[in-house]
Amino acid sequence: MAEQEEWTGTIGRVLLGATRGDGGTRSVQYCIGGSRDLPFLPGEAPCGKRPLIALEICDDPVLWPPVVREQVGDLAGDTAAWAREAEKTYGADLVRLHLTSTHRRQTPDPDGMKKTVESVLAATTLPLIIEGSSDPALDSEVFQRCGEAGAGERLLLGTAEADRYRSIAAAALAYGHAVIAQSPIDINLAKQLNILLREIGVPVDRIVIDPYTGALGYGFEYSYSVMERIRYAALKGDTDLAMPVISAAPDSLTVREVRDAAPADRQERALSWEFHAAFPAAVAGADIVCVRHPLSVKRLRDACSALAARQKGTPAQGGG
Amino acid sequence: MALKALDIYKLLPKKNCKECGFPTCLTFAMKLASGKADAETCPYLDEATKQLLKGATRPPILRVKIGVGERSFAVGEEIVLFRHDKSFVHPPGILFLVSDRQTTDEIRRVATRVKDEVFPRVGELLRVNGIAIRNDSGSPEAFGKAVRVVEETAEFPEMLIAGSPASMEAALAECGNYRPLIHAATAENHGAMCSLAKRYGAPLAVRARGADALRNLAGTCAAAGVQDLVLDPFPETLGEFLITSTLIRRLALARSAPELGYPVYLDATAPGLEEAALSLGILKYAAVMVTTPRNPASLLPSLTLRQNIYTDPQKPIQMTPGIYRVGNPTRGDPLLLTVNFSLTYFTLLGYLESSRISCFLLLVDTEGFSVLTAVASGKLNENMIRDSLQRFGVEAETGHRTLVLPGYAAPLSGRVEEATGWKVLVGPRDAAEVPEFLEQSWKKAPGG
Ligand code: SF4
Repeated sequence: MAEQEEWTGTIGRVLLGATRGDGGTRSVQYCIGGSRDLPFLPGEAPCGKRPLIALEICDDPVLWPPVVREQVGDLAGDTAAWAREAEKTYGADLVRLHLTSTHRRQTPDPDGMKKTVESVLAATTLPLIIEGSSDPALDSEVFQRCGEAGAGERLLLGTAEADRYRSIAAAALAYGHAVIAQSPIDINLAKQLNILLREIGVPVDRIVIDPYTGALGYGFEYSYSVMERIRYAALKGDTDLAMPVISAAPDSLTVREVRDAAPADRQERALSWEFHAAFPAAVAGADIVCVRHPLSVKRLRDACSALAARQKGTPAQGGG
Repeated sequence: MALKALDIYKLLPKKNCKECGFPTCLTFAMKLASGKADAETCPYLDEATKQLLKGATRPPILRVKIGVGERSFAVGEEIVLFRHDKSFVHPPGILFLVSDRQTTDEIRRVATRVKDEVFPRVGELLRVNGIAIRNDSGSPEAFGKAVRVVEETAEFPEMLIAGSPASMEAALAECGNYRPLIHAATAENHGAMCSLAKRYGAPLAVRARGADALRNLAGTCAAAGVQDLVLDPFPETLGEFLITSTLIRRLALARSAPELGYPVYLDATAPGLEEAALSLGILKYAAVMVTTPRNPASLLPSLTLRQNIYTDPQKPIQMTPGIYRVGNPTRGDPLLLTVNFSLTYFTLLGYLESSRISCFLLLVDTEGFSVLTAVASGKLNENMIRDSLQRFGVEAETGHRTLVLPGYAAPLSGRVEEATGWKVLVGPRDAAEVPEFLEQSWKKAPGG
């Protein structure tokens, strides 16, 4: 092993969000990826760049973590207002909207979902990530209509998996969006899914890898290592893994250690538990890190900025 | 650079006299190459050859032990840059910081926490490893007194932080025989600090900013005869720590800079960024870290991250689906369904075994996902449960048709009853509550 590892690969770039100049209505366009070294090391091309932070919201908060509902109060019932606060109050870089309400109602309701997406696009100027309900029977038409609602906005659509990727890929291709490709904590499965997507015509600069992130204490270390391995393989020249990575540990705020915490400590425990999966994911190379607690955004941003700063006082920008 | 066994063999006397305890010189060479023998044990080597062999066969990162007794901990001996390449070896020691400006009561309170506070988690006791006492007053007397207060409270590893050799000497007079970590030798004071470290046989941290300066200073201290060194790269930002500690680990593993082949220290007390610093240190090669006495609400996550990252990654994440027996189940004993995520399985198994319950576990194939995730994603559904019951011939084993579903799978219960024709009981969400649930509910169930 040498002092400096020899890398031959570069992580591909993906553009998220479109401003007026690019045919959309977002206030910013992010360019993620582009790295040529291990995360935050000097050879990494875009100097001082920190990962983007996405705040996750949903249109059906019943199943959302109680600590978040406590924090956001009435906002939880108003998806558009929640998205606006994500930008204005909490300072997220991206909003990730989960359209989960169809699941409980067991009806796809594509028109309703389209309206929700439109209202969120109107409420925030940030680039968006749009997720279905994880129920393929419900989501296929929802993806089409939501893709249509966000045509030209360069959304990131989620989530494609090995056994269901066609409808989401079709929606992304038809309306110019990117897709999240999720595989269960396995570098080979991640690679296979990327190949499947490529074979049906999804360009590599439209794919973001989601290796699936387990909560701290519940398998997180496997996810951490898969993220490190993906970055390593990509830098060693494996182009089927040379895409940016998105990480979310959706169970962070509902683990036993949070539920059972004394009421006075619960919020701090929740924030800290979420932080300890989100920040290590950034250290492992995730380009987008997702959180659910609104107060996690600043905490994570400060930490990532300190990590991206080589010397004291150099500001770290979000991707772009 | 590391020597291969054959290169080492060429340097040996080839007497095959067995005095080293090995049958032949070649065996001895092989043991030396893998770091399992000491060049000293062959009486026929000249001094120069001995030194050469020692340098070439020492572990790339030396082991350093801090403290004595039950709570002492060892660091170093790491062999990889990425945990997935093999495994990380020694979890970093985390020490709570106190200042000699604090009152006796305040110091005692922190020391008592270090002594008593434990967090049991999946079969291990998570705890902070020791205490660091800092000479903020500048006064040797105050420093010595603060150390005495800690000493009176309990026996656990200590670290002494002082720039002045006079203060350090006063503190070592209190605890020098218990292998405290001395912090730190610098460009200005290293002569005096090295003498103290040697006098007490205590490990010594050397502080210099950046890998080059550290290499020089560590080399100087090693040449002065201090064996147990710890490196403090003295970073200004988290980013600088990451860059320097990665470089140190790489150079050490490549054996291209033996002066950097020591464990690394990180001061994680950065205001507002402490949990980030602790996380980064855990992930990226810190071996000893100092933090303020954090609230348990956010300390437990740090300790859990350390536990996660220092788990052997070769442990499989997925279990083979099928029927597993817990205890000695006989026909009529409970049947619990769970997923093939190994952590779920081992957690459940732990609780069942500790309450001496005999039962059958049906592990269904959710590709290693937890119950929560498998239900949300549809990987756990009524059809695959029906197919698993048939495929594994479950009824022939259990002699009944009652299935306990995990609490998080409650939404599926109706559909599972319909699809399988089995009676379904919904268990608790937490594995910890399963034994009590079985006590209460199984006896009443028709299968019981
Ligand atoms: S003691 Fe030395 S000479 Fe004798 S067998 Fe061992 S290595 Fe060879």
